[in-house]
Amino acid sequence: MKIKSLTSLLVLFIVLSFHSVFAQEAAPNAQGSLFYQANAYYREGKYNVAIKDYKKLIDSGLESGNLYYNLGNSYFKQGQLGLALLNYERAKFFIPQDSDLRSNFEYTLHTLNLEPQSFGSRAQRLVYKLFEAMTLDFLTVFLSIVYVILILFFILNLFSSGIKKVFGVAVSILLTLFILSAVALDGRINYLNKSAIVVSKEADVKFEPFAGATTYFKLNEGSRVEVTDKAESWYKLKRFDGKTGWVDKGALVLISGNPR
Amino acid sequence: MSRLKNKTINFKLLILCLSLAFNALSSAGICFAKEFNFEATVDRNKLSLGSSLQLALAFDDVQNMPVPELPAIDGFQARYLGPSTMMSIVNGKSSSSITHNYLLLSTKVGNFKIGPFKIEHSGDRYTSNQLSVEVLAGQVENTSQPGNQAEPLIKDLNDRLFLIIQTKKKSAYLNEIIPLTIKLYINNLGVRDIQYPEFSHEGFSVGRFDKPNQYQEVYKGVNFDVLEFNTSIFGLRPGEFKLGPSNIKCNLIIQKQPRGRSTFNSNIFDDFFGRQEIYPVNLQSGYIALTVLPLPAENRPEDFSGTLGNFNLEVSVSPLEVKVGDPITLTMVVSGEGNLDTVGAPKLKSEAGFKIYEPQIKQAGNQKSFEQIIMPMSAQVKEVPMISLAFFNIQSGEYKTITRGPFPIVIVKPEKEEESKVVENKLPAVVPAVQEEKLGRDIIYIKENCGHLARKGEYLYKNRIFLGLQVIPLLIYLLTFIIYKRQRRFKTDLKYARQLLAPRKARTGIYQAKKYLDKADVDKFYDTLFDTMQEYLGDRLHLPSKGITISVIDEHLGNNVVDAQVLVKLRDIFRDCDMVRYASSQLTGENMRDSLKKLEEVIDYLQRQKI
Repeated sequence: MKIKSLTSLLVLFIVLSFHSVFAQEAAPNAQGSLFYQANAYYREGKYNVAIKDYKKLIDSGLESGNLYYNLGNSYFKQGQLGLALLNYERAKFFIPQDSDLRSNFEYTLHTLNLEPQSFGSRAQRLVYKLFEAMTLDFLTVFLSIVYVILILFFILNLFSSGIKKVFGVAVSILLTLFILSAVALDGRINYLNKSAIVVSKEADVKFEPFAGATTYFKLNEGSRVEVTDKAESWYKLKRFDGKTGWVDKGALVLISGNPR
Repeated sequence: MSRLKNKTINFKLLILCLSLAFNALSSAGICFAKEFNFEATVDRNKLSLGSSLQLALAFDDVQNMPVPELPAIDGFQARYLGPSTMMSIVNGKSSSSITHNYLLLSTKVGNFKIGPFKIEHSGDRYTSNQLSVEVLAGQVENTSQPGNQAEPLIKDLNDRLFLIIQTKKKSAYLNEIIPLTIKLYINNLGVRDIQYPEFSHEGFSVGRFDKPNQYQEVYKGVNFDVLEFNTSIFGLRPGEFKLGPSNIKCNLIIQKQPRGRSTFNSNIFDDFFGRQEIYPVNLQSGYIALTVLPLPAENRPEDFSGTLGNFNLEVSVSPLEVKVGDPITLTMVVSGEGNLDTVGAPKLKSEAGFKIYEPQIKQAGNQKSFEQIIMPMSAQVKEVPMISLAFFNIQSGEYKTITRGPFPIVIVKPEKEEESKVVENKLPAVVPAVQEEKLGRDIIYIKENCGHLARKGEYLYKNRIFLGLQVIPLLIYLLTFIIYKRQRRFKTDLKYARQLLAPRKARTGIYQAKKYLDKADVDKFYDTLFDTMQEYLGDRLHLPSKGITISVIDEHLGNNVVDAQVLVKLRDIFRDCDMVRYASSQLTGENMRDSLKKLEEVIDYLQRQKI
């Protein structure tokens, strides 16, 4: 009887969790027409107007992987490859498995003569790679499910002698999975909030945050960096090789920032 | 006449007597004041101007000798250092000596005599030997015994072991290479474990130190062993900066001065037992002021990328005859004087018609080479465009651009023989020769639907409801764990189980008793009441229920364990229960209600008490 009521509570938890997931969905119908209209402009080669419409949609507080993908394509057609790359990066948070997105992303990098840039230790990068195909929300739910199953195993271990035989192995696997997915989620959240893309053709990274300071190194359009600090109109950034410096805010855009 | 002669003889006798008396008195005086000798020694008798020596005045067989006041010594300034005493017992006879030490600082060049010193003490006169000391203007060769060096060496260490930091320039342009030298000067000292220098270099990038050079140098007229550390620096931003001070850590080796005058005081003996002392020393140099000048903005070429120096450029192109899409290698060698780190790849004036790859860079000595692959993408290409290198010449203070080329090349069309090979394959005539498939690449087309639209920035990991819900499984687990623990105790701990069940069973009994009360069944009512009370008390006190009597209750609940009123009520219930056996007719409904109420009150009270 007690186990039944506990199971009911866990089911209730899962239902409520998914409710909070789906509560985030927005009604797409009202804004759908704007998207199709932007697509029409794109087909006509009016990339400027298409960009404006896609951005209007984003400004209204909505976002999707396809929307960022199309916006990235429009920028690419206009020759603004840094901005194209920025929007492909944003799209990867929603449709990471999309082969078209991967292809366009890689082609843009190739056009810019850039290699994919990774941050963190080798172990961290390996973990990120393992969970690369998951969206940020899916990874969050996955972590939560692993956590619930882990708790369930602990509960069942109290009452069921059958579970005790596999408890050690199962808990080890679940704990490993929990830690790995937690590391991946943390990395993805950092990636979202700290990563930025250079959108100007070339950016001078200086030793100090003022215009007259000496240039330490240069960044090409499309380079990915990690923003670590800010001061007035300057961002302090870290390059993938660990070099740090200050760059004018106009030269790069945060992945989590406003659309450009 | 004879009288005058006698008077003269008498006067001579008087003078003789007087002189004899005077002599006798004089010799008596000598007997009262004794004459002693004492030894004066110096630690070296040859020294350079400005350096010091140690003078020791040793008085043997004297226990108390006050500090002698030295007369002015020509060529030296004296300072008293302190006394040292020594006592020895030989064949049961003890002797003591005291030595007063002075530091003599040389003030003049020349040969000087020190002493003899004459000192009076307690009516005795003490006279020392005389010493000769030579003060030289230059450096003195180390002729004194190593064993006597230790203390003086430490005192004038800064003159004999020091560090100098120097650059050839006091001002330089941004990124201009400035040679920097740090010299360690050592004069007649044992120094080892010398570490590489460290120095403060804010505003400069510093290269690695080369292997140090070792040579001898005369500095301010003195010969020094010099260890020279060389590196190069360049300014990172314009401005005025301080370079240094630099530090070098090393160990100073000093022979320990032997104490006493032992017969075993030989160098061999000392060396054998390693009577050396190591003093860790951290030497510090001064600093130098350096000005880093910005590069002039005037006449700066467009393709200038910060290259500083005076360079030459040699370019070779190979091969000069290629097909479209075939690689051509440009070998560009930049040589000359300057900061090669700032030299970027020379640039093509135009990249039209070519696909350009990143160059491979090699740097050796004063030469930096760039090997760059370029591919002609069209048959219209006739030449490799002009290649230029812009740099800022530090000597002339001007920008300069070197250009090479253009280099004519020939783009060869595919020969027809290749087409004829297709015919030789004996394929049917209708089959055309296989055309090379031209593969292009572009981005993949846009998405036709907008996909799953979500509120911007509202990710699940930020959702408070979702995060709050994550606590629930943990709470469920804690709750389950508590239940599990209770159940286990219930099964294994009989006392706990009885105490836990006691109120429930009592409630059932009271309910049953109330039924009998309603039916006015006195016997059954009191039987049930008695059983309920026995059962409850047995469970609470973890005793056999049937053995609960008033004496057992007194034993366990008496002695102020419970309120006296409760005991009275229990006794009343027992009395009523007993009475029903002999005189049940005397007990009315009122008595039954009263007994029931008392039992309820007792149980209620005991439930609230920890027994």
